[in-house]
Amino acid sequence: MRLNTIVLAAAISIASIIPAFAHHGWGGNVDEVTALTGMVTEGVKLAGPHGTMKIMTSDRMVWDITLAPPFRTQSAGLRQDTIPVGAIVTVHGQRNRDPNRLEMKTIQVEYAGKQYNVYPEFVDKVR
Amino acid sequence: MSFVQFMAWLEGSALGHVMRDNGVWFYGIINLTHILGVATLFGSVVILDLRLLGFWTDAPLAAISRPTTRMAAVGFGIAAVTGAGLLATKATEYVGNPFLYIKIPVIGLALLNVFLVHRSSAWRAHKNRELTYTERRRLAAMGGTSLFFWLTSIGAGRMIGYW
Repeated sequence: MRLNTIVLAAAISIASIIPAFAHHGWGGNVDEVTALTGMVTEGVKLAGPHGTMKIMTSDRMVWDITLAPPFRTQSAGLRQDTIPVGAIVTVHGQRNRDPNRLEMKTIQVEYAGKQYNVYPEFVDKVR
Repeated sequence: MSFVQFMAWLEGSALGHVMRDNGVWFYGIINLTHILGVATLFGSVVILDLRLLGFWTDAPLAAISRPTTRMAAVGFGIAAVTGAGLLATKATEYVGNPFLYIKIPVIGLALLNVFLVHRSSAWRAHKNRELTYTERRRLAAMGGTSLFFWLTSIGAGRMIGYW
């Protein structure tokens, strides 16, 4: 039984390492905040863990725009019907660390002269 | 039907629509339910498997096996249904996610292990009589296998969102 206790303790210690790198935050994105302007190809969707939309920039690249969680995005005034497909928007945020992944975690969306701050606490990073 | 086609079908299915069209909290609530299902499953499995591995031998195996297998089945049912919903929300986005490709087959292996345990003569015997040393060793091996598969599938499942 003593050996079993040691084995169990070892298993728990190994298992407890797992949460150390389970950090669902901004870690997968670069620190620098940049802007992207493009045409909305897929409108805001408030489903899943984060709100999303897709925009196509002038170089015809389609970007995945990751917004805040659905409730926060909606609270920022950005609803599924706020921005029509085909509209031109500018998003400010942090792009994915992997240069091959066209994904941006967004702080602010600008559309029709209005600013939607989905992460208001980071808005001072937007120049 | 290829895997990519299947994922597109799943996303477009009624389940996908239900997941996407029910407000900003729906996904979160299904996610919560999924975690409760997994917790019920693993909480039961870990007790049974550790018992098979030689913990708490003063408690009769039959007394432990009945509630744990039932609750594990309930937990698995909840986790499977809600998990299908979570996946269907944006199924195509998970194409190429290596953690999903680990998780799903390993769940299959875990279920195969469940089948083999229940089919084994040692498992069938434990309800009626004391087990021999060899039978206990055999069940311990399958209990360890079960822990390994469930931990692997839960670990990979948790990592899907971080890819």
